[in-house]
Amino acid sequence: MAARGLAAETRRMLRDPALLGAVVVLWLLLGLFVLYPLAELLVRAFSDEGRFTLEPLLGSLADSHHRAAFVNSLILGGTVGVLGTVLGFLFAMTATRAGLGRHWLTLLDAAALLPLVSPPFTTSIAIVFSFGPKGFISHDLLGLDNVSAYGFWSTALAETLTYFPIAYLTLRPIIAAIDPNLEEMAFSLGGSRWRIFRTVTLPLAVPGFANAFLLLFAASLADFATPLILAGNNFPVLPTQAYLQITGMFDFKGGAVLSLMLLVPAAAVYLLQRYWVGRRVYVTVTGKVGQRSRSRAIAPWAAVLLVVATVLVAVAILYFYALLLYASLVVAFGANNSFTWQHYHVIFTEGLPAIRDTLIIALIGMPLGGFYGVLVGYLIARRRFPGRQAMEIVSMINYALPGTIVGIAYLIAFNDPPLALTGGALIIVACYIFRYSPTGIRATVALLQQIDRSLEEASASLGAGSGQTFRRVTLPLIAPAFFAGLGVVFIRSMTAISATIFLVSLSWTLITVRILENMTELALGPAAAFSVFVIVVVFVVVSGLSALLMRLRTPMAGAAARSLLGG
Amino acid sequence: MAATSIRLDGVSKRFDHTVKGEVYAVRRVSLSVATGELLTLLGPSGCGKSTTLRMIAGFEEPDEGTISIDGRDVTHVLPNRRGIGFVFQNYALFPHLSIFENVAYGLRVQGRPETEIARAVGEVLELVGLAGYERQQPHQLSGGEQQRVALARAVVFHPKVLLFDEPLSNLDAKLRVEMREQIRSLQKRIGITTVYVTHDQEEAMAISDRIAVMDRGEVVQDGTAQDLYYRPATEFVARFIGRTNILGARVLSADEVEIEGLKVPFRSGLTAGQTARLVVRPEMIELAPASTGGEVVQHTFLGEKTDYLVKLGSSTLQATASDHSRRPILQIGQPVAVRFHAEGIHILK
Repeated sequence: MAARGLAAETRRMLRDPALLGAVVVLWLLLGLFVLYPLAELLVRAFSDEGRFTLEPLLGSLADSHHRAAFVNSLILGGTVGVLGTVLGFLFAMTATRAGLGRHWLTLLDAAALLPLVSPPFTTSIAIVFSFGPKGFISHDLLGLDNVSAYGFWSTALAETLTYFPIAYLTLRPIIAAIDPNLEEMAFSLGGSRWRIFRTVTLPLAVPGFANAFLLLFAASLADFATPLILAGNNFPVLPTQAYLQITGMFDFKGGAVLSLMLLVPAAAVYLLQRYWVGRRVYVTVTGKVGQRSRSRAIAPWAAVLLVVATVLVAVAILYFYALLLYASLVVAFGANNSFTWQHYHVIFTEGLPAIRDTLIIALIGMPLGGFYGVLVGYLIARRRFPGRQAMEIVSMINYALPGTIVGIAYLIAFNDPPLALTGGALIIVACYIFRYSPTGIRATVALLQQIDRSLEEASASLGAGSGQTFRRVTLPLIAPAFFAGLGVVFIRSMTAISATIFLVSLSWTLITVRILENMTELALGPAAAFSVFVIVVVFVVVSGLSALLMRLRTPMAGAAARSLLGG
Repeated sequence: MAATSIRLDGVSKRFDHTVKGEVYAVRRVSLSVATGELLTLLGPSGCGKSTTLRMIAGFEEPDEGTISIDGRDVTHVLPNRRGIGFVFQNYALFPHLSIFENVAYGLRVQGRPETEIARAVGEVLELVGLAGYERQQPHQLSGGEQQRVALARAVVFHPKVLLFDEPLSNLDAKLRVEMREQIRSLQKRIGITTVYVTHDQEEAMAISDRIAVMDRGEVVQDGTAQDLYYRPATEFVARFIGRTNILGARVLSADEVEIEGLKVPFRSGLTAGQTARLVVRPEMIELAPASTGGEVVQHTFLGEKTDYLVKLGSSTLQATASDHSRRPILQIGQPVAVRFHAEGIHILK
């Protein structure tokens, strides 16, 4: 049966040149930029002069420093997972249940989402400014001297504030989808509010908690930038250890092994999330959060408490960003607080190559990544061809892997002829496309699932080949996913570092890498100025894209969806 | 008789079922549709009628058998190279295109000149009564209007065959009757070979030249509406088309049978002593008040007619009386004499 289906699918594909061409080209690209680097990484880690060996792995495990890094990564991930889920839940409850007005919600969202679109060091820099030896809070307010802002707790704090929006975004639709009527029904049956919260709301949200925790755990595990700045020497974690192994000791094999140690918990989390939590989400997550009337299931004092706690967190976040802006505008933060444009002058003169390179790379990657995401999403969701599921899985690999693994794999695979691509812009662009387009793929698949297949069949019956159908019907309908995917690639091209730090060179560098260099040289002013610049650019582009999306959606999503997508 | 336009030869389609394993959606279906004819595939949901239609369109590929259109084997030809017009149950209008652009789609794909497109679209919109709707968006139209746009879009580029997949099932009852008459008259006017899929037997009888009844992936009978109604080939067809009584009978002689103790004159073509199963339509059973015989157990007054359930021996008969004399309807519990009209009895093989 399977063989017959495969034969029929193959026959069909061979008669459809557009489909055949797309599938072949995509497999070539996926092979080159996903499978080949990963294979090279594994070969490098597990072979010695052409023979399979576990020696490097065992050697690495025997090193107490590496073992500590492994354990530390897990502890950090677990802590960030718990704290971030709690914060995310707090925000989600406030947003859905406290009865805040629309404008307050927008403000709350802005504060919560800011960290997600910021360059990776933003929170870390702000924490150094706040709690460092000359920190605003530690030194100026509390009068402490020689405090250290480095170590486990500051790293955990920074990562929690950076990644809790993931938990918020995961939990909010779930809690919003728990019908307040359900709670009110229990209320009307005479349950106390606390009892209802315990027996109705919380159990329904449990799969959401698990999901949020796992996502945060994975994000923390993969985070490279925060521990690099804040963890210090006494708290090594895997991504930074792997980086130091390669850049400090030029030990590619050791770096490869360390990055693969990261793979084990990352894969476990991914599998748990996909096959266990994914099936236990009770409420349908639509991603659409409508305005709800104030729920009576929350006591007034509880609502006030929620709002106060949330506002405190939001203020803390805004304070960090304000501090960053301030630091970029004074001569030397903590020492000389007189106003200056000096740091901006520096980043637009000395730092200009980095800005130019980053923008060029982001602008090249953006349309390519958007198109790639839409094309793969379309093929996966709509077409039948041999190896379709394999393509779906392979296209997600670089997205699911921690950036450190991807970066080291690219470095190993593309460092030598015949594919000596490191040092060029192409490899950085490719890294971004294959790492960050999966968001576009997911969005495309989700959108296509709402668009009835008969639209494409109608086009075919009217004489259009698969290429024409894609261009004339499918592409216009999935434009929102295209722009969403393109936006993510742009944002990440501006803010990511974990993978691409291995790929920059003298001729092509990135703003994020320059921020890191500034931080290590203690040139905090320019680092702050670079961060502000990135945030502004990302903000402008994201606002532009969402305005465009709003305009795109009006004819499509509303009435059209009602009348045409059903049936 | 006109030439054959569509021919299906031993067409089968299998699917993998998670529980039952491999199942036939369509099993060895052979059909032919004459040029200009309207054939309806009729059957309950899951009988394979839509799959058969989708194989004619090329959306699905048969696992066995061949399909030809106008003498050309199209079994493995992609849908866009078959020259078909397809009308979908959910209309499938392109939501991002205006009515004009929806209808013009097929012509644009063929690369026709702008002036020809404008003229052809104008004509066909006129034909379906939607002139002046060109600039509207699909979601601004009612369901019936959308279906007419879908129809216009399917015929504007003069396809060789027209295929309908339950086109009226999303419309309300009154609109359905209106639309099916429109479809029928348009189809006759342009004389296009048509295959029409529905599960509604009344719609099928109203619209078709010929009906193929499908059950569990197979065509069980293929004929005119009269054939199916009066001479059903199987119990399934008899029950699916109209209301019916299926009765066991014993053959008494060459021209007499016994039904529930009643002697009924009927040439069964069987020899004495054999048993047979007979199809008798409700309107072919006449009831009259009597002292013995059957007994009325239910009556439903429907205005133009009255439906009865009558207990006769071990059977419960459905009978319909369309009585113009305004006689009082028979009461429950009333003993009745039951008479079968010999010309209305059909024997099942």
